[in-house]
Amino acid sequence: MADRFDLAILGSGSTAFAAAIKATDLGAHVAMVERRTLGGTCANRGCLPSKNLIEAARIVHDAAHPRYPGLTPARIDVDFPWLIAQKDDVVRDYRAKKYASVADALAGFELVEGDARFTDAHALTVGGRAIEADRFLIATGSRPAIPPIPGLDAIPYLTSDLLDADEAGRLTELPVSLTVLGGGYVAVELAQLFARLGSRVTVLARSGLLSGYEPALGETLGGVFRDEGIEVLTGARVERVAGAEGAVSVAVELVGAGRIVRSEHLLVATGRRPNTDDLVLDRAGVELDADGFVPVDVRLRTRVSHIWAAGDVIGRQHGSQMATPVGARQGRIVAENALADAGRVFDGTVIPRAIFTDPPIAVVGRTEAEVRASHQPAAAATTPLQYVPRAGAIHKTTGFVKLIASTIDERVLGVHMIGESAPEVIHEAAMAMRYRAALPDLVDLIHVYPTMAEALKIGAQAFSRDVTKLSCCAE
Amino acid sequence: MQGVIVVQPIVYIDLGVGGMTCDDCVRKVTDTLESVPGVNRASVDLEGRSAVVEASPEVGPEALTDAVRAARPYNAFVRRVRTSRDG
Repeated sequence: MADRFDLAILGSGSTAFAAAIKATDLGAHVAMVERRTLGGTCANRGCLPSKNLIEAARIVHDAAHPRYPGLTPARIDVDFPWLIAQKDDVVRDYRAKKYASVADALAGFELVEGDARFTDAHALTVGGRAIEADRFLIATGSRPAIPPIPGLDAIPYLTSDLLDADEAGRLTELPVSLTVLGGGYVAVELAQLFARLGSRVTVLARSGLLSGYEPALGETLGGVFRDEGIEVLTGARVERVAGAEGAVSVAVELVGAGRIVRSEHLLVATGRRPNTDDLVLDRAGVELDADGFVPVDVRLRTRVSHIWAAGDVIGRQHGSQMATPVGARQGRIVAENALADAGRVFDGTVIPRAIFTDPPIAVVGRTEAEVRASHQPAAAATTPLQYVPRAGAIHKTTGFVKLIASTIDERVLGVHMIGESAPEVIHEAAMAMRYRAALPDLVDLIHVYPTMAEALKIGAQAFSRDVTKLSCCAE
Repeated sequence: MQGVIVVQPIVYIDLGVGGMTCDDCVRKVTDTLESVPGVNRASVDLEGRSAVVEASPEVGPEALTDAVRAARPYNAFVRRVRTSRDG
């Protein structure tokens, strides 16, 4: 028997939940369809479990490498299966509190488990059950992209799904050695995590680390990686892979040389692709772009007027980013637009973003290259963190902050930071950009002394003064 | 002298209503809807989280959802507008 809903949501991640909460608040009858674990990538196999393990790895690393003269290095033994078990507990607890119990409390809401396939523009089938709806939201997220490397389909390999608590592909033994394919944010976070827990790690990046970001961020991180004993091979073109369980080899073409990299495990972290292949969207009249993303307008509507898409499945359209809080914002917008005809537009101008390496990276706005390409008159200033008092006080001077500002009105166009607390500091920069603040605004604000947020005040002064000569509190 | 029968056109507006937890809420939402000028009658269903509003065609559905929204913590959206009770 068919069930009819006001809104059917495909997926159960942050995008889907934000939409469901708003839609049920409006009085809608909502169906949510999920084929994997409730909560999506972030909660189960992304941001949350990775941040849990990264902090544990930092504790291990800091004990072995105290930055302070006078502190003796200490060795912390890693019980990897136990560490993974506590991570699984954290994930399950978070999933129960932030997803399952939230879903239970929603009125007019039903969770349907199974694969969703469109049968026509107003109907899905999920495991033989027909679900009809007046409106649909495609929020099925993304998964690790698997590059077409000869031999890869014949050997076992890991992806970021290794972080999952309950699904196949999870990892419970610490790899003795690990080869990481990719140089993006997932690759660098996991490479450092495993290296710090005791794996011998080699990173194979096609270009540099973190391409697409300000180049100096990846260069600085590469230096840190090399100091920590992580081998980073850039300009690496992987020709083929071979091997078996517990012994893989990767043939790499480097600039002017070839090499075979051997390790116990291979981790493929070369990007993410949208989960749109199995939805039979053409039966609903929705066409995908060449990479599988769902084309939408600025109100997140597809070309079929009652079908909407949000989160990772829309890729980078309209300034969007594949990130948990971006999807959540979009899910809410879709609920309001689809049900209440609110006409809300997604604005991706100011989206702070962080990479949780150590030192961490955080960015907001445009890179210098992007600003130059737009022919906007602008200037950039890079301030090493050695000029930030707190960084010196706690022996954490690795890193810099780079500000890009308009030379017409001094408005901040982009902030790029690698260093202690960057993911916290970036919110001040994001708020500054949201309210169209100019460099003097960052300078005029009294900052707590000594904090890493002073990096913004000092970084803004670097456009007009010699910051190497500043006294206390950067006045 | 023959009587004149004035046929008043009526529309039926189906709303989804969120935030109702008890009969008191039903009363409040009913009163709220019926106080919108042009509304003849509102029947509110707690279980179905919905309302059917009989109103003259000049009543914009947004006036109804705005009124419900203003009567916090309730919220509403327009499911459909019909020209007959059964349509």
